[in-house]
Amino acid sequence: MGLIVKTTARAIIPLIGIFGTYIVVHGHLTPGGGFQGGATIAGAGILFLVAFGLDEMKEQYNKSLYSALEGIGGLTFLGVAMLGMGVAFFYNTLWHNGPFFNGQPGTLLSAGYLPIMNLAVGLKVFTGLVSALTTIALYRRWKS
Amino acid sequence: MKRTIAYLSLLFILGALLYIANPNYGLKFGPGGSEWLALRYTDNYYITHGLKEVGGMNIVTDIVFDYRGYDTIGEATVLFTAIAGAIALLRPWRRDEA
Repeated sequence: MGLIVKTTARAIIPLIGIFGTYIVVHGHLTPGGGFQGGATIAGAGILFLVAFGLDEMKEQYNKSLYSALEGIGGLTFLGVAMLGMGVAFFYNTLWHNGPFFNGQPGTLLSAGYLPIMNLAVGLKVFTGLVSALTTIALYRRWKS
Repeated sequence: MKRTIAYLSLLFILGALLYIANPNYGLKFGPGGSEWLALRYTDNYYITHGLKEVGGMNIVTDIVFDYRGYDTIGEATVLFTAIAGAIALLRPWRRDEA
């Protein structure tokens, strides 16, 4: 892409990233959450891919790292869901009698495991969508 | 011939769905008052008890991650499988790598 597009992308990508992180972190307080915020941050990654081209993306993108991060996101989700295994699966033990994340409803450090789950799902969606789009961009065989 | 039957059955299904969606015979749109309590008692429970039982201000997040967390696990699994499948299918062929 041209110079104007590259400069604008350089200015906008951090803003999209911050906004997506805000959506993920405030998932238990405002509309949004892990899936929506993760897709927003993945939009920043796709803007990077479109604006700077595939060669630049190849240097920044690490397939093993992104695959590992996606797995870690899913495992964090499952691990947090199993915290209250003494009562039931998906028992929100951090909220009922946990050491942290048990503040007044409406504050950032409240709602038990919901913020951790939002972060895990956001990480998973972001890395997954960026990996998928980069793989599609790397598929450059127009004939046969 | 087969295509005609297919279009006719599509038309029939559309007509049946339109009949069901008619408020006089089937679904009610925008229930309020006592209808709300009769038809949407689960929603009413979530709205009344969600803040106390889960602690999040966002009721959608409360439902998706706490009350119905299994559904979210399945959703995450679907996403994981879709991306793994896409990446596995879009890899270069072995003879092209070289």
